[in-house]
Amino acid sequence: MTGEPVRNTPNRRDVLRMTGLAGLGLGLAACGRGFGGGDDEPAGGAVQLNMVWWGDAKRAEKTQAALDIFQRKHEGITVKIEYQDSGPYKDKLATRFAAGDPPDVMAMRMDSLREYADRGTLLDLGQHSGAVDLSGLSESARTLAAVGDKTYGVPAGLNAIGFVVNRTLTEKYGVSIPDGDTWSWADLASFARQVTQASGRKVYGTNFEAFTLANFIVFTRQHGEDFYTADGALGVSESTVVEWFEMVEAMRAEGGFPPAGFIEKVGASAEQSYLAKGSIASQIIPTNNFLAYNAAAGGNLALLRIPGETQAVRRGQSVDCPHLWSVAAATKHRDEALALLDFLANDVEASKATGTTRGVPANTSVAQEIKPSLEKDDQVATEYLAGLQKEKLPRSYTYPPGSSKIASSLESIAAEVEFKRQTPQQAAKTFLDTGRKALGK
Amino acid sequence: MTTTTRVTLPAGASAPPAPPPRRVKPRKDRAGYLFLLPWFIGMLFTVIPFFASLYLAFTDYNLLNAPQWIGLGNFREMLDDPLLRQSLKVTFIYTFVSVPLSLVVALGVAMLLNRGVRGLPIYRAVFYLPSLLGGSVAVVLLWRYIFGLDGVVNAFLGWFGIDGPAWTSDPDYALTTLIVLHIWTFGSPMVIFLAGLRQIPAMYYEAAAVDGASKWHQFRSITLPLLSPIIFFNLIQSLISSFQTFTQGFVLSSGTGGPADSTMFYNLYLYQQGFSQFNMGYASAMAWMLLVIIAAFTALNFLAAKYWVFYDN
Amino acid sequence: MSLLRSRFARHIMLCLIGAVMMYPLLWMVSSSLKPSKTIFTDLALWPAAWDLSNYPDGWTALEHPFSLYFVNSFVIVVLSIIGNLVSCSLAAYGFARLNFTGRKLFFALMLGTMMLPGHVLLVPQYIVFAKLDWINTYYPLLVPNFLATNAFYIFLMVQFMRSLPHELDDAARIDGCGPFRTFWSVIMPLCLPAFATTAIFTFISVWNEFFAPLIYLTDSELYTVPLALRQFMDSEGQSQWGQMFAMSFLSLAPVVGFFIAGQKYLVKGIATTGLK
Repeated sequence: MTGEPVRNTPNRRDVLRMTGLAGLGLGLAACGRGFGGGDDEPAGGAVQLNMVWWGDAKRAEKTQAALDIFQRKHEGITVKIEYQDSGPYKDKLATRFAAGDPPDVMAMRMDSLREYADRGTLLDLGQHSGAVDLSGLSESARTLAAVGDKTYGVPAGLNAIGFVVNRTLTEKYGVSIPDGDTWSWADLASFARQVTQASGRKVYGTNFEAFTLANFIVFTRQHGEDFYTADGALGVSESTVVEWFEMVEAMRAEGGFPPAGFIEKVGASAEQSYLAKGSIASQIIPTNNFLAYNAAAGGNLALLRIPGETQAVRRGQSVDCPHLWSVAAATKHRDEALALLDFLANDVEASKATGTTRGVPANTSVAQEIKPSLEKDDQVATEYLAGLQKEKLPRSYTYPPGSSKIASSLESIAAEVEFKRQTPQQAAKTFLDTGRKALGK
Repeated sequence: MTTTTRVTLPAGASAPPAPPPRRVKPRKDRAGYLFLLPWFIGMLFTVIPFFASLYLAFTDYNLLNAPQWIGLGNFREMLDDPLLRQSLKVTFIYTFVSVPLSLVVALGVAMLLNRGVRGLPIYRAVFYLPSLLGGSVAVVLLWRYIFGLDGVVNAFLGWFGIDGPAWTSDPDYALTTLIVLHIWTFGSPMVIFLAGLRQIPAMYYEAAAVDGASKWHQFRSITLPLLSPIIFFNLIQSLISSFQTFTQGFVLSSGTGGPADSTMFYNLYLYQQGFSQFNMGYASAMAWMLLVIIAAFTALNFLAAKYWVFYDN
Repeated sequence: MSLLRSRFARHIMLCLIGAVMMYPLLWMVSSSLKPSKTIFTDLALWPAAWDLSNYPDGWTALEHPFSLYFVNSFVIVVLSIIGNLVSCSLAAYGFARLNFTGRKLFFALMLGTMMLPGHVLLVPQYIVFAKLDWINTYYPLLVPNFLATNAFYIFLMVQFMRSLPHELDDAARIDGCGPFRTFWSVIMPLCLPAFATTAIFTFISVWNEFFAPLIYLTDSELYTVPLALRQFMDSEGQSQWGQMFAMSFLSLAPVVGFFIAGQKYLVKGIATTGLK
C-alpha cells in the first residue's frame, strides 16, 4: 500500500522552529544561572554558612533581617538561607544527611531530634560550652534539647499549647467562659454543651484534635504519667488512653463536640480553621499562632490554659518549642555555626528582628526586653509563656527514635474511635501495641 | 530472590515481536546500539540507583549511618506488618477499580471528540484541565468544600433526599472519593487515545462505510484492533502508575494515609517508612516487592497481548 | 431533525462534563480575586469583596519577582522537551524497529526502571549528582532528559512506531535509505502525534515538578515556579492565600497555552498527512 515513503518531511519547518526555541533556551542558559559548577565557597578566607529551616516568605524576611545584623557583627561570615514548608523540608534534610552533604545550621523538629542525635550527626553543644551561652534560659527551656547529658541545640523560641475561646460567640449566645486558670475538663464539657445548645447547633462549643500528640501529652502528664519516659519508652497507661477517648466521645455524644466527620483535615492554617469560619467556639492552638488565629477569627479571642491543671495529680502543661537550632556534627565551620546559634539565642537585636515567628525568645531577659515592641496579641502569648516558666512544671523528655510511628498511630486510632469502628478500649490496645513495637520496648 | 529473572519477566513473556528475520545481523546490531547510545549513558542515573536500592533492600539502613547487611530480615518483617497488608489492600482496590473505569471514560470521550465536534479544541482543553490541576496544592484546598459534610456534593445529594457522608474524613468513603478524583483526571489517557485514533487511516472507515458496516461494527473491527497498541500502552502505563499512586493519597491526607489508614497507599507507606521513620532499608525492600508485583501484572498483560493487540507486521 | 437533536444532545453532554472539569479552575480564579481573609469563609464563585492587589502584590511578594521563576521554569521546560524528544525517539526507534542482541533484556530493564518507586532511588541519585558536583545547578534536572531516562516516553513512542505498517521500512530500504534516513524521513513525520504528546506531557510534568527541583536546588534565584509557590504557605504563619491563588493561576497559563497551541499536532497523524 505504500508505493513511496513520505519523503518530503512535512515537519521540517516545525523542526526548524524547535531549533530556534532550543537556541533561545540555550541563549538564556548562557546567562549562566543554574549552569555553573555547583556550590562554590566564597573566595578570600570568607566563610559561608548554609542555614535551612521551614516557613514562608514572611518568616524569611524577618529571619534575613536578623541575619543581616549577624553579618554586620561578624565580618567574614555570610549566611545563606534556604527554606521550604515543613513537609518537604524534612525529606530534603534527610536526603542531604544521607548523601553526606548536610547544612551547617538547621531547624530541627523536636520529634526527629533523636533520630539525628542518636546517630551522631549533630554537634553536642556541651562539648563546646562557652561558645553558646545558655545561662539566660529557664530550666525548662534549657532541657528541651537535652538527651542524656548532651545538648543538641537551642530552642528557636518557646511555645506551649493553649485554649482559645471566641468571646464574640459566647457573648452572642450568653454563655459565660469558665476561669481559664482553674477550669476542669468537666467545666469545658458543660461550657461546650451550653454553646451548642444556645446556638441551636449552628456553633459547636469546642473542638480539639484528639489525635494531636501535644494535646494528649498534657492529659497524660496530668495523670502522673510521662508519655515518653526518660529512657525513651512509652509511659502512658492503657486506662489513660481509654479515658481520653471516652471523654472526647462523651462530649461528641452530648453535642459539645461536632459530629463525626464534621472536621475535614485539609489544611492546618489559622485562616482555614473552623474557629475562623465561626462554626466552633473554642479550640486548642500553639500559643505562637495566637496572633494569626485572633486575626483570622475576628480579633476577640481569649487565651486560656488547658483544662484540668488544678484538679490533676500534677501539672500537665509544659514549655515546648516549635523547633531547635542545631548544628551538623560534620560542619566545616563549627565555630562560626556556634556563634550564629549564640547570636540567635541571646541577641536582643536578633529577637527584635525575628519577633515571635518561632515563639517567644528562649532567653527570658530577651523576651522581656522585646515585649514592648511586639503586637498586642504576641504580648499576650509572651505573658502566657512567662507565667508557665515561673511555675514548677514536671520535666518532659525528648521524643525517642521511632516516635513518628506513634504520632501516626494515634491519628489512625482517633479516626477509628470517631467513626465508631473501634471502641476506646480496642483502640487503646492497638495503640499501645503499635507504639511499643515501634520503640522496641 | 534472583533479580534477573524478575527483570526479564516481561521480555521473556513477549516484549516487542521479532522483526522480520531477513535483516543482516552485525550491521543491525551496530545501528541498534547507536540509537540506544543516549539510553546506555543514561543508565548512570537510572540503573545504578536501581541496583543500589536492590542492595539496600537487604540491609538495615537508617539514612544516617552506613547500611548493615541483614539478609532477608526486611522481607521477613514484611510478612508480619499489618499496615503493609492494609496498604496493599488499598492499592489493589484503587488500581482495579479506577484503572478500567478511567480508561473506558477516556476512550469514550476520545471517540466522542474524534468525530469532528464543533469546538473540539476547546472541549479537549477543558477536559484536560483536571490533569493539569490534579496535584496542585491550591486545588486540594477546594476538595474540603466539595466533599465536606456540608459541601457541594452533599448539597446536590440533598435534593434527592440523600444524607451524604463526610466524603474525605470518613474512613469508609475516603478511598471512594480518591477513585472518583482519579477518574476525573482522565485527560492524559484521553490525549493519547486521540493521538492514536488519528493514526488510523481514514480509508478503512470509508471502505467499511461503502460496505454498509454499522458504526458499532466499525468500532469493533477497525477502531479496536488498530487502536490496540495504544490501548495496551495506556493499560500498562495506568497499571504501573496506579500501583505507585502517591500524590493523591499524600495531598488529601497531608501524608498520613488517613482517616484510619483508609488511604494508606503502598507507596505512601513506603515513603513514611523511608523518610519519616528512617527505615530506608525496609522501604527499599518494599519497593522491590512492589516491582515484583507490577512486573508480574505487566508480564501477564504482555502474555495476554498476543491475543488482542494487533501490530501491523 | 433527529441528526440535529443528537448533535445537540452531544453538545449538552459535553458541556455538562466540561462544567465539572472547569469548576476548580473557576474557583481558583475567584479565590485569587478575594481578600485573603474571606477566601475560606466566602465560598461563592462570585466574590463578595474584590481584591485585585493579589496579582501585583503576589508577583513581588517573594525574594525575587515571579518573572525570574517563570524564566527559570521556561529554560528547564524547553530544554527538557528537546532532550526527551531527541533521546527518547532515538531509543524508541531502536526498540521498535531494529533488531540487535540483548534487545529484549534492555527493553525489560527499561520497563523495570519505571516500576520502582522513586523514593528509594532518591538517595543514590543524589549521591551520583553530588559526586558530579551538580548540586545547586540545573544539570540534575536536565541531563537525564537528554539521556532517555524517561521510560514512559520511550514506551509511548515504541507503541506508536510499532503501529505503523512495516512496508514503510521495506520501501525506504529499497529506496536506499539507511536506518537513520528511514528514522528521520519516514518514521519521524508519521509519529508527530506521539511527539506532540511527549512534548505536552513533558511540559506539564516538568513545569509542575516540585520534588526534584526542591532537592537539587538551593539558591532561591534558581527556583522554579512550583518551588516559589510553596513559599507562600506555611501552617504556622499567616499565609497569603490570595496571592498564592493569584500566582497559581498565572502559573497555569503557560501550560494551558502550550496545550492549546500543541494540540493541533496531536491530530496530525496518518489520517491527515495523507498516507495513500
